[in-house]
Amino acid sequence: MNLGISAIKYIEEIKNGNLTAEEFVSKTIERIQKVDSKLHAYLSINEQAVEQARSIDKKIKTKENVGACMGMPISIKDNICVKETKTTCASKMLEDFIAPYDATVVSKLKIEDTIIIGKTNLDEFAMGFTTEFSAYGPSKNPWNTEYVPGGSSGGSAAAVSALECIASLGSDTGGSIRNPASFCSAVGFKPTYGLISRYGLISYSNSIEQIGPITRTVEDTAFLLNIIAGMDPHDNTTIDNQNENYLDNIDSGVEGKKIGIIKEMTQEGVDKQVSAATNKAISNFEGLGATFEEISLDMVEYSVAAYYTITATEAGSNLARYDNLRYGYDFDSEGYEFNSYLSKARKKFGPEVTRRMILGGFVPSAGHAGKYFLKAMKVKSKLTAQVNEALKKVDMLIAPTVPILPFRFGEKIDDPVALFLVDINTVTANLTEKPAISIPFEISGGLPIGIQLLGKSMQDKMLLQAAYALQNTVKLPEVPI
Amino acid sequence: MISKEEIEHVAKLMRIEIDDHVVHIDRIQKMIAYFDILDKANVESEELIVREQTIDALREDKYIPYNGKLIENLKNYKGSYVRAPKLI
Repeated sequence: MNLGISAIKYIEEIKNGNLTAEEFVSKTIERIQKVDSKLHAYLSINEQAVEQARSIDKKIKTKENVGACMGMPISIKDNICVKETKTTCASKMLEDFIAPYDATVVSKLKIEDTIIIGKTNLDEFAMGFTTEFSAYGPSKNPWNTEYVPGGSSGGSAAAVSALECIASLGSDTGGSIRNPASFCSAVGFKPTYGLISRYGLISYSNSIEQIGPITRTVEDTAFLLNIIAGMDPHDNTTIDNQNENYLDNIDSGVEGKKIGIIKEMTQEGVDKQVSAATNKAISNFEGLGATFEEISLDMVEYSVAAYYTITATEAGSNLARYDNLRYGYDFDSEGYEFNSYLSKARKKFGPEVTRRMILGGFVPSAGHAGKYFLKAMKVKSKLTAQVNEALKKVDMLIAPTVPILPFRFGEKIDDPVALFLVDINTVTANLTEKPAISIPFEISGGLPIGIQLLGKSMQDKMLLQAAYALQNTVKLPEVPI
Repeated sequence: MISKEEIEHVAKLMRIEIDDHVVHIDRIQKMIAYFDILDKANVESEELIVREQTIDALREDKYIPYNGKLIENLKNYKGSYVRAPKLI
């Protein structure tokens, strides 16, 4: 049995009777048992998965109404709530937290008969780009286990790439879906802000983060988007997408489309191989009838500083609830002197979360807000204006997802600024609320390179069409694990 | 450069004890030093974009009872009471 099939192919095989959900889910569990000791993509596994698959098979057999996903195994990043399941955010603070409800995206998947196969690893509270900040140890890159899988949705990308599930849901605050998708050779999509409900996503930086799919193919992303996108009364920032069908006409191509090459993301500081891959992607697009022009967005230089300032501020507020009383409680019931309480309040946070909490207290504080937070917000405004202006001239923008190749464990973890600059190409989409997608494009010296497309707000469909066209210009090798 | 004392002060306000987190101070100083790049962005005259939402677009402000036994998620409770440590 080929566990590497796409979601679309899986449904076809089930419909044709060539496959049962139980067979596929059992094999997937076996696969996880075989490879996850090396990869550590998962933090927990659904013990009832096979049983649930069996009951979906029964529905298929008796031709009962069966949901569109037909029992396909999908994993969920462990900062998204799945009812009666541990949701740890890869933090010791939430090691005992059992979610009392399903996130909207999870209920939508369950209605369509998805098997939630397990919860995937991440950097603690999604703060990081390597999974090295997970309190439960990092995930490994399936292409080479000495390398980071990217992050923060590193477990999700590793699981999709290593055939430990068909697809996964991650969250993207500054590239946390696209970066690991690029490093692990998967498709990673961050939708227009508001397209997918965040209800049940444990908040880190509400104003810019989004849930999105990580899949094997662009069609699978469109398929999942059809299920999980749309208005939600539980999330007031969601927008009406008119029940768009993202899979229809996905093969429309890019003939006549204009694409802008972002100067600040394709020249200085870009690895030679990544640069060569980007040029190849551009020429492949040209072969399909797209035209290109260079676009300069000078605010990109300041985007990472603005991004960290804004996210730290929101994190400082969002994570204030983790005070060892409401979560992480480990006190004796007897009294505490206030200062000794203080010494225990945040002890269960790991180092990066602790630092960002302090940053988040500092940058918006009286006396410093004008220099940091306010300026960051203004950079966000100006960057948005520049991107909107550019998107009047062109249909979408292109750049490599990450300017460098995947790197080894430990290589950057001690240099916070080097780690910051890994996301220079991804934060723009978050700060400007635009949709962006990473498409696996090349394997260079055994390491994946992804190409990123950034589109107009609510033109997620056009972006997927272009991504599909690019995907079909390359054939990538199979994952070596 | 932001001083160690300033960072410790903010940490305390955030209810974070930094005594055994000395290793963090150097990194936080580096991070904040990097944010100084914002001074070069020349955005002082820029208008802020604010997300607007009219009040009728908000959901109705009404109490929705929760059926689940939420309290069972807590470690220290009795009936419908939560036990928290006494802080003085």
